[in-house]
Order: sequence, then C-alpha cells, then structure tokens
Amino acid sequence: MDPLILASEECDIAREVVCVPANVLDLFEFNSVPIFIGLGAVIIALVMYFALRKPKLVPGKFQASVESLISLVSDSIARDVIGPEGVKYVPYLLSLFFFIWVGNLMELVPGINFPFTSRMAIPLTLALLTWVIFVVEGIRKQGLHFFLDLIWPPGVPVALKPLVGLIEFVSTLIVRPFSLTVRLFANLVAGHVMLALLLGSAGFFLLGVLGGDISVLRGSIGAAWFVVGVAIFMFEVLVGFLQAYIFTLLSAVYIESSLHPQH
Amino acid sequence: MIADVLILAEEATESSGIDLLIPTVPELVGGVLAFAVVFFVMWKFAWPQMQQLLDNRQKAIAGQIQEAEAIKAEAQSLLDDYRQQVAGAKSEANQIVEAARSQADTVKADLIAKAQTEAQGIVGKAREDASSEKARAMTEARQEVANLSIDLAEKVVGNSLDRAAQKSLVDNYLASLEGA
Repeated sequence: MDPLILASEECDIAREVVCVPANVLDLFEFNSVPIFIGLGAVIIALVMYFALRKPKLVPGKFQASVESLISLVSDSIARDVIGPEGVKYVPYLLSLFFFIWVGNLMELVPGINFPFTSRMAIPLTLALLTWVIFVVEGIRKQGLHFFLDLIWPPGVPVALKPLVGLIEFVSTLIVRPFSLTVRLFANLVAGHVMLALLLGSAGFFLLGVLGGDISVLRGSIGAAWFVVGVAIFMFEVLVGFLQAYIFTLLSAVYIESSLHPQH
Repeated sequence: MIADVLILAEEATESSGIDLLIPTVPELVGGVLAFAVVFFVMWKFAWPQMQQLLDNRQKAIAGQIQEAEAIKAEAQSLLDDYRQQVAGAKSEANQIVEAARSQADTVKADLIAKAQTEAQGIVGKAREDASSEKARAMTEARQEVANLSIDLAEKVVGNSLDRAAQKSLVDNYLASLEGA
C-alpha cells in the first residue's frame, strides 16, 4: 500500500547507503491526499469546537492554548500588520494559519507522515485566494488607481516608468502568488523527502541487521540515519509552524498594501 | 552521502518531475472544500466565540475591579467609623473618670468638713461638761466650807448659833474672797 515501502523494498541495503525509491515521485503518490485534507479540516473544526464550545473566563490549559494561537493571528498578524481594519480579515487569516499548520503537521503524525501542503494544489489555492482578496480589496478601496500605484510607485521618474512598470507588474501581480506558493510547497516537499529517506533508510538498515541480511557495522548506517532523521523531525516541527505563520503574515502584508496606498 | 541522495532524487524527479508541480483535480477540489469548511468554522463559530469571550472577560475583570473598589471604599468608611467610635469612647471614658474623680474629691471634702464639725462639737460639749462640773464642785465645796466653818465656830462658842445668819455671813465672806 505504502509507495515508500514498496519502492524501497527493491533497494539493495548491502551496497547502497540510502534506500531511495526507484522514483522519488512515489513519495508523493498518495491517492488518499484528499482524505488527509478533509481530515485536517475535521481536526481544526473539532479543536475549535471543543476549545470554544463553552469558553470559560478563566480558561483551562486547552482553551488557553487555542486562545493564544488565535490571538497570535488576530493581534500579532491582523491588527499589527493591517491595523484596525484587519479585524475583518481575521477569519480568513485564522483559516490560513490553522489549515496550513495542520497540513504541515501531518508530516509528523505516525501513520500519515504526509503533509498535504506539499501537494501543489493546496499552496496554490491558498496563494490565489490571497491574491484575489488583494486585487479585489485594492480595486474596491482605490479603484483603478490601485493598479497605477501598484506598477508606478510614487516618485518614479517618467523615463523609468516603462521599465519600473514592467518590473512591478510582473513582481507584484504575477510572481507574488507564485513566490507564496513555492515557499510553502518547497519547504514541505524538502522536509517530506528528507524525513522519508532518512527514517525509511534507518528502518531498512536496522531491520536488515535484525534479519541477519547485513552486518551490525553496516547496520550502524541505519542508526546514523535515525539520529539525523530525529533531528530533522524536530526541525520540521518548527518549520511546520513557521511556514504557516509566514504564509499568513505575508497574506496580511499583501492585503494591507491594497488597503493603504503607499503615498 | 547526502549529495548522492540529492542527485538521485534529482535524477528521479527529472524523469517526470513536472507531475509534482501540477495540481491534481481531486486535490484542488478537496483543498477548496476543506478550506471552505475551515473558513466557515472560523467565520461563524471560532472568531465570534473568541470575540464574545474577550468581551465577557473584559466586562468581568472591569466588574471585579469596580466591586473591589466599592468594597475597599466601604471598608475604609467602616474603618473611619470605628476610629471615630473608639475616639468617642475614649473621650467619654476620660470624662467619666474625671467626673468620678471630682465627685470623690467633693465627697472627701464633705466628709472631712463633717468630721471636723463633729470633732469640734464633741470638744465643745466636753468643755461645757467640764465647766459645769467645775461649777457644781465649787458650789458643793462652798457649801461644805460654810457648814464646816459654822460647825467649827459652834464648837468654839459652845453654843448653837443662828445657822441661817451665820451661813449668810460665811457666804458673804467667801463671795468677797472670790470678788477679790
């Protein structure tokens, strides 16, 4: 069932140092990704329900943890970056943060070990949503001046206008959503590949020793992979949170720039 | 070793790596639906609950602070009352002690005056008694002297004398002695 195991079973642990599947793409061929995505949404809904169903004025540990995460988004991101108008966007920013974070954390859940944010569809969808809000709010707030200000920031000499206009147009309207997408996507893909290869290899080498297929000395390669894998695992805990935070923060920054013209 | 992994991974990806970058329809649909659910939960439930909670907490804290201030003010006024009462009680006690002291002084002075009067009375009466006793003794002595003188004279004369005339003679003599 698990493509990682199927692919790695073919590896020659007596000669290779890492059990790489025949095709690294196999690491990403999970037909159950939509199920994981749905599971993520259900987990978020349940956490919110149980934390805030009957919120207490003096919160317990669980409620306090969820509250502090919500405050992180509503205060440190929405209010601090966008300002008082940011309250309107809090539900969207909260959804971004929790959806991405839970998606990232799925990498670390035993039995799933797959971050659905490492699938192009998810970061792309979310980045395009932010982009649509950015453009719609900009037009709503500033009319067509929004585009003019966007491609010709105030103070650009006339002679440079065509060049600056082209650069700004491409960087703001085209590259921005893709940079947002790729930052999240690439981080999670890299994390997933590293964890899958390191912990997968560790497992095969150590099982090889137990099965008597390879010597203990050679099997110690597996122990080394295991140590490195655990370190990367802990690093991914940080990365998962950080990438969710960065994506949400940048979305807020983009929304802010469409609400408040630069001049 | 890690470089080997990367090269291997790269080689493997190059074969059909573009697949990794193309979103699949089930994932797009699943992603949009799941995000819509999450957004709905945040929009209609989590964020309003959170705002309500923060409002309630703010009200509760403000209420508690007000309550505490009211209680403090009440305690302060009670403390002032008690202090006033204690001060009143102290001055009252002082007055009572002072009054008792002055009353005692009056009683003492009265008693002393009364005792002195009584003593003077007793001394006066004693003096009176003594002088009346003395007068009585003098009268009796005078009587006795007169009688004795007459008796003596009768014995000398050998005849009874006119007792009344003799007595007045002796009395006159004694009276003249007292007058001298």
